[in-house]
Amino acid sequence: MDWQFLEETFVSLVAAIPLTIELAVTSICLGAILALLLALARLSGFTILDWFARLYVFVFRGTPLLVQIFLIYYGLGQFPVIRHSIFWPFLRDPYWCAVLALTLNTAAYASEIIRGGLLSVPHGQVEAARACGMHRLMMFRRIILPLAIRQALPGYGNEMISMVKATSLASIITLMEVTGVAAKIISETYRAIEVFVVSGAIYLAINFVLTRLIQFAEYRLSPHLRPPVPVMRDTAAAAAPIGDPQ
Amino acid sequence: MNQPTLFELAGFGPDGWGHALLAGAWMTILVALAGYAVGACIGTLGAWGKIAGNRFARATADAYTTVLRGIPDLLVIYLFYFGGSAIVTAIGKMFGAEGFLGFPGFLAGSLAVGVTSGAQFTEVLRGGFKAVHPGEIEAAVACGMPRWLRLRRIIAPLTLRHALPGLGNVWQVVLKESALVSITGVAELLRQAQVGAGSTGLPFDFYLIAGVIYLMISTLSGLVIQQAERHLSRGVRKR
Amino acid sequence: MTATPIALSVRDMHKSFGPVEVLRGISLDALEGEVVSILGSSGSGKSTFLRCINLLETPDSGEVTVAGETIRMQRTARGAHRASDGRQVDRIRSQLGMVFQSFNLWSHKTVLENVIEAPVYVQGRSRAECIEEAEALLAKVGIADKRNFYPAHLSGGQQQRAAIARALAMHPKVMLFDEPTSALDPELVGEVLRVMRALAEEGRTMLVVTHEMGFARDVSSRVIFLHKGVVEEDGKPQDVFAGSRSERFRQFISQ
Repeated sequence: MDWQFLEETFVSLVAAIPLTIELAVTSICLGAILALLLALARLSGFTILDWFARLYVFVFRGTPLLVQIFLIYYGLGQFPVIRHSIFWPFLRDPYWCAVLALTLNTAAYASEIIRGGLLSVPHGQVEAARACGMHRLMMFRRIILPLAIRQALPGYGNEMISMVKATSLASIITLMEVTGVAAKIISETYRAIEVFVVSGAIYLAINFVLTRLIQFAEYRLSPHLRPPVPVMRDTAAAAAPIGDPQ
Repeated sequence: MNQPTLFELAGFGPDGWGHALLAGAWMTILVALAGYAVGACIGTLGAWGKIAGNRFARATADAYTTVLRGIPDLLVIYLFYFGGSAIVTAIGKMFGAEGFLGFPGFLAGSLAVGVTSGAQFTEVLRGGFKAVHPGEIEAAVACGMPRWLRLRRIIAPLTLRHALPGLGNVWQVVLKESALVSITGVAELLRQAQVGAGSTGLPFDFYLIAGVIYLMISTLSGLVIQQAERHLSRGVRKR
Repeated sequence: MTATPIALSVRDMHKSFGPVEVLRGISLDALEGEVVSILGSSGSGKSTFLRCINLLETPDSGEVTVAGETIRMQRTARGAHRASDGRQVDRIRSQLGMVFQSFNLWSHKTVLENVIEAPVYVQGRSRAECIEEAEALLAKVGIADKRNFYPAHLSGGQQQRAAIARALAMHPKVMLFDEPTSALDPELVGEVLRVMRALAEEGRTMLVVTHEMGFARDVSSRVIFLHKGVVEEDGKPQDVFAGSRSERFRQFISQ
């Protein structure tokens, strides 16, 4: 058991964790916004928007993420118009290409999860909001979206874990996140098993923390699903409604 | 410079890469099938371990699915490809061979895909089994059916019927994962597209064509799976 | 005159689920041709008793003998009771036809396939012979025209009658009915009870756990009342229903 090698590997890999997390967090956040727009497009009732969103989801879920990454990183450089545009500094940079590809990809999967959440909001609660006189935007912001998020959280949690794993593909376009560093060490030393164990453990740790955070969020967002907190005896007596026979 | 159009590139004419891309698509399907088959075997073992196994089997299966759920597939491919090469080289040295011996990319790729999809298979099969009405299994017990007969005639068919949508999903995932196998040098679709892109300087065209082909394979698979679902569910339609 | 042979015999059966003792020493001899109704409130152990007979549940102690053959049991290292010969258990199970409360027809097979499954694959009889007999049985229970339907397309009463045909197809020595009509809509109960009555009149040995007092009183040849895991009443229907000594039983039937 070559502890020194393991230690060196561990140190190198840990240094790459910030990049992995940056990639993941950025793509998840941007992807969530795009996903919400896509979900709303599907539910908007306008055929054109619906079909555009459907096509988007179909294409991005039906092709491998690696192909999408290659298209953006290698493919876009083919066009002079892009090379001369203001976007070029971003589009030639592997980091932004990776973020773009990951964002577009996660948006497709996440939009279906969010759409499922939006559709699962009980119709009766929407009706009650309308009966109170809430206009559509307020109804959406205060009733529908919160309920939809609670419903979608477990599924979205899974998607977030997938995203963390997906950042590993950025290593193929030269980004030195955890998998990139691991690949470099393996190709130099051919000690695949040891490096695999250390880098695997790092990813498991990241995903473990992520899972805990999601569980915490689920817990905080669902007081309505937990048993009620028992009321103290004297406050109950003090709060006895009017007209109650004592 | 007279650039060929997309259609010419994808076609079979003098500028066309159609043959290479078709060969690549075929290799993609082969890699995916091989990985799916390996995953199915591992998944069956894993599901059995979680359902009917003793504490050790259950713990092993749980550890397997938990670990593979959290590790990127790319790392697993590196493990099998480089790790396999290291083992083969070491064995070669024992027999006096010189230098580096590579582990075949197809084998490394299929095994890696099999190991990662095996975890998904385990969960899908387990879920399918849980969905089977326990009463139907009891009726088979009450008839005096011995264990293997029960498994073959009642439990397996019913589990598969419930698991089919999930199994279809796993296929779609495996299909896309096969693109990662390109890093081992296997001449599947993405690798062929890379070769073409490098050769002609037209990466966008080639990756676009590759994307379209993946989409076609995926859609066709979806249709086949839908048909299978319809066939297996023929007894389940409510009146 | 030779005595009627005993079709099924249970000796001193005990069964606990954790700390709760559900069966506290039940013994029973069912003669050939007897129709035994087993009554009792929920928790009295009647379903557990039936399920222990064909070892769907394993009793903690006690002996079960079917047509003269006793199921061989043993004690494991940890003191648990279990059958020692799996093949004997399977064989005896194939001689006991069980009808479940929730029918439990195999949903991926048609009614006909359900009925021939056990005779062909467990008992090894010829497929052609089994199909012929199955069609006769389905006609007997009144659903011959449904033979190629899947269970999901039948009503509850039709499914239960198919389940009865499935049990009959195995040529059982004893038929076990576990609350056969409890899961049925009231208007479908009658068709199933009619089939069961016909079987009783044929002289089949039947053990029926049921809530249907009419069946217990009019069709069965013997009534057993279980209360808290013990046999409180055991006798002919007219004796038990009319002149019962047990206070609990009178309370039970007056509900």
